[in-house]
Amino acid sequence: MIDWLAFLLVLGSALLATVIVVITYSLGIRLLTVSGRTPIVTPAEFTDAIAVVTPAEAKAAVKRAAKAAKKSPLTDGQKRVALFGARACFALSGLAALVGIYLIVPVLHGLV
Amino acid sequence: MDLTLIVVLVIALALFFDFTNGFHDTANAMATPIATGALRPKVAVGIAAILNLVGAFLSTEVARTISGGIIKEGDGGVLITPQLIFAGLIGAIVWNMITWLLGLPSSSSHALFGGLIGAALVGFGVQAVDFSVVLSKVVLPAILAPLTAGLIAYTATKLAYAITRRHDGKPDGRDGFRHGQIFSSSLVALAHGTNDAQKTMGIITLTLISVGLQPVGSGPEFWVIVLCAVAIALGTYMGGWRIIKTLGTGLTDVKPAQGFAAETSTAATILASTNLGFALSTTQVASGSVIGSGMGRRGSTVRWRTAGRIGVGWLLTLPAAGIVGALAALVASLGPAGIIIDMIIGVVVISGIFLWSRRSEVTPSNVVSEVADSGSAVNIEQNPTPIKKGAP
Repeated sequence: MIDWLAFLLVLGSALLATVIVVITYSLGIRLLTVSGRTPIVTPAEFTDAIAVVTPAEAKAAVKRAAKAAKKSPLTDGQKRVALFGARACFALSGLAALVGIYLIVPVLHGLV
Repeated sequence: MDLTLIVVLVIALALFFDFTNGFHDTANAMATPIATGALRPKVAVGIAAILNLVGAFLSTEVARTISGGIIKEGDGGVLITPQLIFAGLIGAIVWNMITWLLGLPSSSSHALFGGLIGAALVGFGVQAVDFSVVLSKVVLPAILAPLTAGLIAYTATKLAYAITRRHDGKPDGRDGFRHGQIFSSSLVALAHGTNDAQKTMGIITLTLISVGLQPVGSGPEFWVIVLCAVAIALGTYMGGWRIIKTLGTGLTDVKPAQGFAAETSTAATILASTNLGFALSTTQVASGSVIGSGMGRRGSTVRWRTAGRIGVGWLLTLPAAGIVGALAALVASLGPAGIIIDMIIGVVVISGIFLWSRRSEVTPSNVVSEVADSGSAVNIEQNPTPIKKGAP
């Protein structure tokens, strides 16, 4: 007997979990950029899979981000709100992942 | 042949299979973060090993599926012997080795199931295998899981890009996904431990049940869990070193946002399936995610030939390992001599793996994992400029 319901359950729950994590994390990045703190993360090590980012290019990226942040029409207060929102989004994203782990580990259920 | 000796042999072989599983699959979790530069390869491999170890302890649902479902043991069923499990393992290891040498995409999990099913068919005939369990818990998940993961990764990639897209040309901060990747790829490694280490636990438990050391239908013993966790973690670490040594041989073009989306969907799919006891192939799920997330990027087209080749490899694994397992079972049925012949074949194959892995010559087909390989199934134009909807 094939348990189609179980498959739908896997599809649904995995889709829901992924969408929640990805939306919150992406929103976090968007808000972080809006708040003027555009994340510039250079690759930890270069493989041939990625375009090599030279130190000069990384510096230019930081400069570009700073320039864009300066031109931002937002007030300082609005930027603070955006930064708070970004942090809240990252926290939510992490929390969602933790809840997911909690749900699949039976041992933890007795503890909380 | 002595009963306890064969049990020890089977456990040793099963642990070795577990080791090769980790060895083979390090790249599942760590191909994308290494490709985007989110993690240094050495760090990535260390994290993968530790989280595989932890993951192995977290859930035993999949182990129960294997030890208690596929082959009907106990009342009304057949009494599977350690000899047959031994033959099944030989089948799995040999097939894994062959595909690895040929650079064919394959799944350690399906090799294992195929080997066991083949051996059981030879040993007892058709009635030994519960085909409805095989169909619902192994074959269908094998087909559906990569599709599911691909669909989810596609959606997630679209979302991640849409939310961070800026039409004014200002920096979009997508670099920040590199930090997210550290967590998402860790989650994949954890998920791998919860699903793949379970398979070996299931096999060892099945063996212990078959010789009456454990009651029918019981879960894995604690020492079995510890041994399997250590074996897969060691394998992951060793496999990783090989990957580090051979980096730069053609990982595919993966962007941080895409990698993050792919890893999240891989982890979610594996964890959700583990929870319901589906023994799926983590390799296939990760490959599905990489393809799906590639299709989610703008300007991408699928290379159907490559995608098709990967698909055929997946479908072949189960029956092919089954044939090898059946042959091994035939040989094993000759009695002690047969077991010894099987063992010799096993030792030859194992030392073959060892020697092959030490070869200095490296080609993309033996280094790059199937996951990285599947990335090449999607063709992506270089950085298409964002077009505002409604703009002329």
